[in-house]
This record gives sequence, structure tokens and C-alpha cells, in this order.
Amino acid sequence: MNASAAAQAFLLEKKMKKTIRLLLVVLTMTVVSAAPAIAQSTTGTVSMSATVSKFVEINSGGGVTLSGNSGGGITTNGTVNNPLSVVVNLGELGPANTNSFVTASVPLKLRSNAAYVLSLAATVSSTGSTANEITSADVGFGMGTIVRSGVGVNTAGTDTNATSGDPTLGANGSVNGTTGRYNFTALRSNLSAFSSATTALSGSFIMNAVPRSNTNGLTVPALFAIKPQFYETGTTTIVATFTVSAP
Amino acid sequence: MKRILAITALLIVFVGSASAQTFDISSGGTPTITGALSGSVSGNSSTTTDLNVTINFGEVGPANTNAIVKVVVPIAIRSLSPYKVTATVTGGTNVNLQALQRSDVGFGVNNMRGTGFLSRNCNNSDHIFYSPFTADPATHITYTAAGRADYPGNLGDIGTSTTILSGPTLSFLFGGRFSSNAHIFDAIFTVMPQFYASGTTTASVTFTISAGPSVPC
Repeated sequence: MNASAAAQAFLLEKKMKKTIRLLLVVLTMTVVSAAPAIAQSTTGTVSMSATVSKFVEINSGGGVTLSGNSGGGITTNGTVNNPLSVVVNLGELGPANTNSFVTASVPLKLRSNAAYVLSLAATVSSTGSTANEITSADVGFGMGTIVRSGVGVNTAGTDTNATSGDPTLGANGSVNGTTGRYNFTALRSNLSAFSSATTALSGSFIMNAVPRSNTNGLTVPALFAIKPQFYETGTTTIVATFTVSAP
Repeated sequence: MKRILAITALLIVFVGSASAQTFDISSGGTPTITGALSGSVSGNSSTTTDLNVTINFGEVGPANTNAIVKVVVPIAIRSLSPYKVTATVTGGTNVNLQALQRSDVGFGVNNMRGTGFLSRNCNNSDHIFYSPFTADPATHITYTAAGRADYPGNLGDIGTSTTILSGPTLSFLFGGRFSSNAHIFDAIFTVMPQFYASGTTTASVTFTISAGPSVPC
């Protein structure tokens, strides 16, 4: 081996030693840092849960229809899919109004993911002081035709109308043969039956599994009717509060 | 010189022993939840801890007026060879079809990224997210003819050991879990609040990493 070859071998060995030292450092660091982190697993788990609570809501089903009125009008109309808050002035209810009935049809929209019960509590207060004033029995009431339609609605669901329907129907009232006063005589056909919260409508769940942004639902008109008669003069205030619940 | 070589050999043997298992899956960081009503998600923020996440979506009926409940779960994976990640779902079914079903839970995976200098970035093969799980379900919602929310991928598309991801080697040195030798991807779970039938639903998804299709790094 000449001097040049010997020098090259020396340099090569020096390089190898340096490389091995570096490798040693890296491996040592790896092992040292690996010691507390050896834990390994080939599986991991994500567990999940979700809750759906019973839900019911009532909103306006649209604009109010007032008919047979003399004077009066709709003070605050209903707007579909908005909270129900309607104000109606029924106008003249004395004999000056020659129409057969003054009626107000208030559309309701119900939605639920569970069986529902719609109840009504109503108050009727008149300024009169005699038995001839307008009373709760003089205000006919009934739930009209129930419609379940549209995408996302449980159209196979069934409903039970606890009222007698349109109070102006001949079968639902007549002139009292003794007093001569017109009476709404059918089952739950006037507001005297609703002096406290009383079921007006009930049924199975309304909405299938669709988002709340789906605006369909069950629509039904709440029908109010008063027959103009020789009532005591004065004014009458009627407040009807609907509540839907999921028992 | 001989002594150095001997020590080095011993260390190599030791490291080799420590990495007998060449695949690992762990937490990829803190999971997040948005749009929840009375919901929560819990998981370990450390990428060197086991993947064990608990999601409570909270109220997912119409009482929750948010558009969607979305949970992002970062998952860390490590390997010294090509890998695949599979998912297996249990639970999440209801006899009542109007109640929450597996198909009502959107599921997607995306956003693969390395975690540090020991994450191996291969140029010759990609990490592949498998259809139909490639989209963020929160931004790809459609509706069925019945009006029910639908996602490109959902838990109903996961059976037993359904492959959701595969790719080339993930790590360099693999003596165990380090914060720097993993890749992390996001698993996304979504539920859109709807008029589901009332009740509580539970489900579990198990992710497993194992040897995958042989692809070059």
C-alpha cells in the first residue's frame, strides 16, 4: 500500500466512523424517545349518540276569511307559517245585520313528530248585564276539514275531530223552540264547551323525517260563527287560545 | 470501531423489536362539534393517545334550529408499509323508519396531512379516500323524494370492514407513537335536525388500520 492509498483508507474510515456516530445518535434518540411511546393500536373507536325529543308546533295556516259581516273586518291577519296571532272585528251582530251568520275561518297549521293534541281555551266577555248579552254559548265553533298533504307529511296519519265541524251546518244548531234564541246544539259546537282547555283535535304524528325547513304540515280551519240576533247592546270580546301538545 | 458497530447493531435489533407492529391508529387531535343543541364531543388532544372519541349529537329533532350538527374527528395513522383503513359500524338502526337511521348520519373523510419530520411523504402514490366517503357531508346534502336529507356517504354505506382509505407508507422511523411520525385525516360526521320520531339512538364506528394494496412510495 502506498502513501496515497493509505491516506484514502484513513479518510474513508474516518468518514465511516462519523456516519456511524451520527446513526448511533439518531437511533439512541429514537429509542429513548420511543420508550414511553411504544403503545400502539390498530383500532380506534368513535361512539355516538343522538336524541330526538317530542316536538309539536302551531302556526298560522294563512289568511283569515271573514264573511257575513256588517262592518268590522280583519284587524290582524294570519301569515302562513308564522306564529298564530289573529285579530278579527266581527262587526255588527245585532238584527241590523241581516246575514244568516257572521263567520270567521282561521287556518291553522300543525306539525309534529309525535301524536298530538290540539286544545282550545276560550273566554267570551260582553259589556251587557242581562241574559240577552252575547255569551260563550252564542259563539259557534268547530274544526273544519283536516288536510294532510305535501312532501314530508304523514299522509297516512289519522285525526279525530272532537268538535262537530262547521257550526253553521243545519245539523249543528237551531232556533230554540222555547226561547226563540238560536243555539249551537251539537257536541262541542260552541265556546261554552271550551271555557277551560279542551281537546278540539287530536291525531297521529304529522311529519315524517324531514327537515324543519320543509314547510308542509297539517292544515285545518278553526271556524267561528255568530248568528245575528236581538242581543243586548254592547261590545263583546272573544279570546280563543289554541295549544298543541304531545302527550 | 468494532465496539461502535456492536452497539449500533444492538440498537437496530431493539428498534426492530419495538416496531414489530408496523401499523398504528390514534387520536389525531381535539375533535370539534358545531350546530349542536345540548351536544358535545370528547376525545384526547394528544396524537399519542388511543383513538377513543365520544360524540353526543344532542337534540337532532326540529327543536334544534341549526341547519346541521357537524363533528370533525382528526385521526392519526402510522405505518412502515402501504396501508388501508377500514371502518365497521354497529348500532344506529331503528325499527321505526321515521326514527334516526344509519343513513341519517353523514360520513366523510378528507384532509390528509403529515405531522412532522418523521411523516413520510411519498411521491409515487397518493392517499386515496374511497367513494362514497370523499365529500364533506355537511356541504353535499341532497333530499330524497320523500324530503329526507341525504348525503353522498353515510353510516349506512359502512358495513363490516369497509375500506375508506388506503395509501403508501406513512412514516419513517416507527418505534411507536410520536407526534411527528403520523399522518392525520379528518373523519366527519353530520346529522341534520329533522322531524325524526322521538327517542335516543346510539352507534359506534371502529376504525382499523392494516396492510393495504401494495403501492410504491
